[in-house]
Amino acid sequence: MKHFFSLQWLRIKETGIVFTDELKRIFRDPGVLVIFIVATLVYPFLYKAIYWNEQIKDIPVAVVDCSQSPESREFLHHWAAAPDVKLSSYCTSMAEAEHLLRDQEVHGIIYFPYDYAAQLADPFGQAHISLYCDMSSFLYMKAIYLSANQVMLESMRNIQIDRYEQMGMDQEFAWSLVQDAPYTETALFSPTGGYGSFLIPAVLVLILHQTLFFGICMLGGTAREENKQLYIMPGRRRSYSVLRITIGRAAAYFIIYFALAAILLVALPRLFDIPHVGRPEDLLRFIVPYILATIFFSMCVSVTIRNRESGMVLLISSSLIFLFMAGISWPKEMIPDAWRYLSWFIPYTWGAHGFIHMSSMGASLWTTRTEYIALWILAGGYFLIACILLFVTGWWHERKKTLKRI
Amino acid sequence: MNYLTNIWHVTKRELKQMFARPLYMFASVGVMLLSTFFFLTLMRGGAAEKMPVAVVDKDQTSISRRLCHEMQATPSVDIRLITSSFSEAREAMQQGEIYGILVLPENFYDNLVAFKRPQVDFYVTNAYTVGGNTAYKQLLTMVNLTSGAFQREVLRKKGMSDDVIMHRIQPLTIEAHMIANPWGNYSVYLVSTILPGILGLICLMLTIFAIGYELKMQTSREWLHTAGNNYMVAMIGKLIPYTFVYLILGVACHIILFRFAGFPVYGSHVRLMFALLLFIFAMESMGVFLIGCLPTLRDAISIGALYAMLGFSLSGFTYPASNMLPAVQALCYLEPLRHYYLIYVNEALMGAPTINSLTPALALCGFMLLSITTAPRLHKALVYQNYPLK
Repeated sequence: MKHFFSLQWLRIKETGIVFTDELKRIFRDPGVLVIFIVATLVYPFLYKAIYWNEQIKDIPVAVVDCSQSPESREFLHHWAAAPDVKLSSYCTSMAEAEHLLRDQEVHGIIYFPYDYAAQLADPFGQAHISLYCDMSSFLYMKAIYLSANQVMLESMRNIQIDRYEQMGMDQEFAWSLVQDAPYTETALFSPTGGYGSFLIPAVLVLILHQTLFFGICMLGGTAREENKQLYIMPGRRRSYSVLRITIGRAAAYFIIYFALAAILLVALPRLFDIPHVGRPEDLLRFIVPYILATIFFSMCVSVTIRNRESGMVLLISSSLIFLFMAGISWPKEMIPDAWRYLSWFIPYTWGAHGFIHMSSMGASLWTTRTEYIALWILAGGYFLIACILLFVTGWWHERKKTLKRI
Repeated sequence: MNYLTNIWHVTKRELKQMFARPLYMFASVGVMLLSTFFFLTLMRGGAAEKMPVAVVDKDQTSISRRLCHEMQATPSVDIRLITSSFSEAREAMQQGEIYGILVLPENFYDNLVAFKRPQVDFYVTNAYTVGGNTAYKQLLTMVNLTSGAFQREVLRKKGMSDDVIMHRIQPLTIEAHMIANPWGNYSVYLVSTILPGILGLICLMLTIFAIGYELKMQTSREWLHTAGNNYMVAMIGKLIPYTFVYLILGVACHIILFRFAGFPVYGSHVRLMFALLLFIFAMESMGVFLIGCLPTLRDAISIGALYAMLGFSLSGFTYPASNMLPAVQALCYLEPLRHYYLIYVNEALMGAPTINSLTPALALCGFMLLSITTAPRLHKALVYQNYPLK
């Protein structure tokens, strides 16, 4: 008991041996180095290059103006001022515009019917504008629709005021009727509101998760191939050595990845000029359980991998599944419960939300406590499972060896 | 004749290996089944309708409270939190519980009935795009609902009929027609490119693995020997069983997406399915090309994974390629998935004539020819086995 409390069971020295052995294994293996270090550092720059332009600008739109009235021209004039769209072609018929849309020359069509001006002039009329959006990308649709809607609301208010004034109301009263409660809108957190600012933080966390995952699977597969008995330390009782091996190996991954995570999650957002309002010391503290949970999660999975490369072949599509299951690009409220509960077992889910809350939204570590605690629980849970799996595989291996001897 | 028998020998040898290791079936059929199931069930709703929002009620009158509860009862609105403190709502947003905040100012109702036009403030999170947008639309609806109701009340008192009032309140409307996806279904637009993309990813990785494994286990000479020392025979014989599996998966993927899941196809099913098969061949060919460039399994696998994963972003189906930097736009065309996506847009969404899909289809054929360029190098590697094994 006394020994237990003096941490004798940890046998720091032996843990140290495992730790340095694992570091050597990593740095002598070009395949693992490519994944751990090259991929981790190159990927963020590639994604930043792809999502360089934050805003979707100047989407070409075709105009079909059958009313040919000052009113429709005024609408178009206002709309052309919006940065999102560019009125690139004026067509005489819908067929012509559809042709352009089909050939992807334009991504939207705005159509004013013949009676547009007449309906507006009629004090009881209602005018309609038709908007056709290319759905090949949601971002086209969003930009075209929202900017047209903005112009529409503005024009509508002016028309309403005119009509109320015709009815003999004074302008002040008409305004209070039309817009009894004017509103201001503020987009919080990301000043540009661009796609990159939203996606890149989630991708940075995913890169850490997946490179660690594939790297550890590759190391596990290699050990299996070379028949190195990672899980047996000579002359010791297995139940003890399991702990030391797991801790020693994890420590080796941890020091590499803590540095990488500090670069990716603290330095790169500043370099890339994506939102970085989190406190660095809080972020660094948050990184610890995230890396640990990912390491032990990967160690558990790597037990099933038999070859160096098969892990990558088998698990490559997990990157997409983890990304979507976490509920970032598709909101978590809209994900079926079964998938949401499953996602709680993946460290990425908590890591990504926690990082976005802290770095993009400026939450403190205390505000992010749910994610922080969940990651510690996952780290602890996967640590125990990793130890048990190591113990069982070691036991199985020795049994096979004894069977062979007989 | 001799060639054909040799091809058959190689294929037989390959079939044995294929069934000896569970990896091949797991990584192709298993992964595809799982991904299809996952992505089709993930967004069953398809459209994000309502997101949780908060109302900060600074007015704190019985009427503002009643207003909050009325809004809460509206089915299209999900008010998760009603509070008087903005910082509480902000913290809930930072915890990812809500996506938007509506602030009712002090004396809101008094000012409203006195026609003093009190100002309402919205705050929407930008850190989650879909959630934030949906919350924004929802907050707008909430304000317009209350505002419209108020206008209607005043006009009714003036003795107008409801029909006339409607046109007063909304003299101008925009009808949005979302071409080929009238429901604004996110799932249609995402899954119809992501699933073929995953299939392509599988083709690429497994092709690299199947060839690279021979190099790694130094069985490549025996393989060539079975093929009568003919490189083409060896390659064709080896790839036949895999190609067969991929093509079945491709046809199944098409049928599941566009028949069972009911994703719209305005053009021709045959042409779209043909494009998917071309895409599969292109990815397989890229696999042969990559292992030919880097005849070491681990390098080819790592580079292949990098290349195929970038395909999802570079295909431009989420973030349009036309908005990328010019240099990056050029890179897009190096990804077969980009060309498949272009054909998909033409065929499924636009119902465009075949001629529009010709260029991307030819590009896919071009990828198929690419594998020939590294044939001499790969052939040498198979014979001499002069590359690192690990």
